[in-house]
Amino acid sequence: MRCEEARLQIGAEPASASPALEGHVQSCPPCREFRDEMRTLDANIRRAMEQPPQSAAAPATGGARTRARGPVVAWRQWALAASVTLATFAVLALWLLRPGESLARDVVAHVRDEPESWLAAQHVDAAGIDKALRGAGVELNITSDKITYAQSCWFRGHYVPHLVVQTARGPVTVLILRHEAVSRRHEFHEAGLTGVIVPDGTGSLALLARGSGNIDDIAGQMQQDVHWLPQGT
Amino acid sequence: MRNSQPESPVSSISTRLPGAHAALTQLFESLRPDLLRFAHWLARDRALAEDIVQESLLRAWRSRDALKEPGAARAWLLTIVRREHARLYERKRLELVPLEDVVDTQASPRLAEPDGDLFTLRHAIMRLPLEYREPLVLQILGGFSTEEIARELALSPTAVLTRLFRARNKLRVICGMAAAPDVVEGAP
Repeated sequence: MRCEEARLQIGAEPASASPALEGHVQSCPPCREFRDEMRTLDANIRRAMEQPPQSAAAPATGGARTRARGPVVAWRQWALAASVTLATFAVLALWLLRPGESLARDVVAHVRDEPESWLAAQHVDAAGIDKALRGAGVELNITSDKITYAQSCWFRGHYVPHLVVQTARGPVTVLILRHEAVSRRHEFHEAGLTGVIVPDGTGSLALLARGSGNIDDIAGQMQQDVHWLPQGT
Repeated sequence: MRNSQPESPVSSISTRLPGAHAALTQLFESLRPDLLRFAHWLARDRALAEDIVQESLLRAWRSRDALKEPGAARAWLLTIVRREHARLYERKRLELVPLEDVVDTQASPRLAEPDGDLFTLRHAIMRLPLEYREPLVLQILGGFSTEEIARELALSPTAVLTRLFRARNKLRVICGMAAAPDVVEGAP
């Protein structure tokens, strides 16, 4: 086997170990090194693909609309987005340095991955909310004009509704977690953020807001507004 | 676009049909997360991936008699998802904008994150042209062999090997390693 053939085989199928390939790499240190590198890379590719691409995979049809806006408006929006994003990262990074309950950490990490969710100002229409709730087995009582962000997000192995609800104390992130049962209320007051996870239905609701105030009233309201449908509906 | 269809085809069907149909419904439902992840990596868009999976499950249900072995369901459904994506891609291709326009503006702040390497790799995978990304997704997430990918994509096995090699070679460079010398497509 020639080096070119060996490298094609290794690059295409790093885990392959045919007798011919094994014979070649044992006698060819550069190809052996190449295989080691490609196996390491392949392990990382598999890790990277374990999760869906998240929000970085922007809607394929939305770019033209964004680009059609004026440059000044666009610059302001990006400046605002960058400021809020950096501030959010800084605050969340401080929070993440503290030990905490793993579900709460994952909630925070998820919100960190979608900082744009805090920026949304326009309400999501009913179709958008329905789409976010699709397959989650819940219905909402809440009026759509209070919801400024609604996505179905990949979280701990399931797609879950991720909402941002406008409340009297500002935007509050709500994750509806059918698959995350908790036995009791779990509250966080960390670095300028408030989080609470409450049992609800067969799972739980996770809420996250800026500031240090109590959000139990909002959690209570959400518990009333979220209706869990029987499994399989 | 989906107004005329049920919210969840699988679940709706399960309420109407008993016995074996319910078991098949349960099987499909258990595979839904895999299908969504697979579709998401192909389509690079969450909402689109959900539409693809929804449509695929409807198609699968209509042709459920073609599924002889429950053990073959995963590969069968993944194949349906891939074909549904291909159909949608053909219909929507004129509306697409370059992913770089969006990714470049979003990538920089995230590179400083603790999992920055994986994040970079995810973006690099997303930016692979479909001709390279598709066989890679089929191989990594679908578990398809080179021969199976070749059949599915109507390519020769050697062409599939070449595309997989080039896909990884591009990712290799993104990860800071030297590019391996390219191979000639179709050469052994």
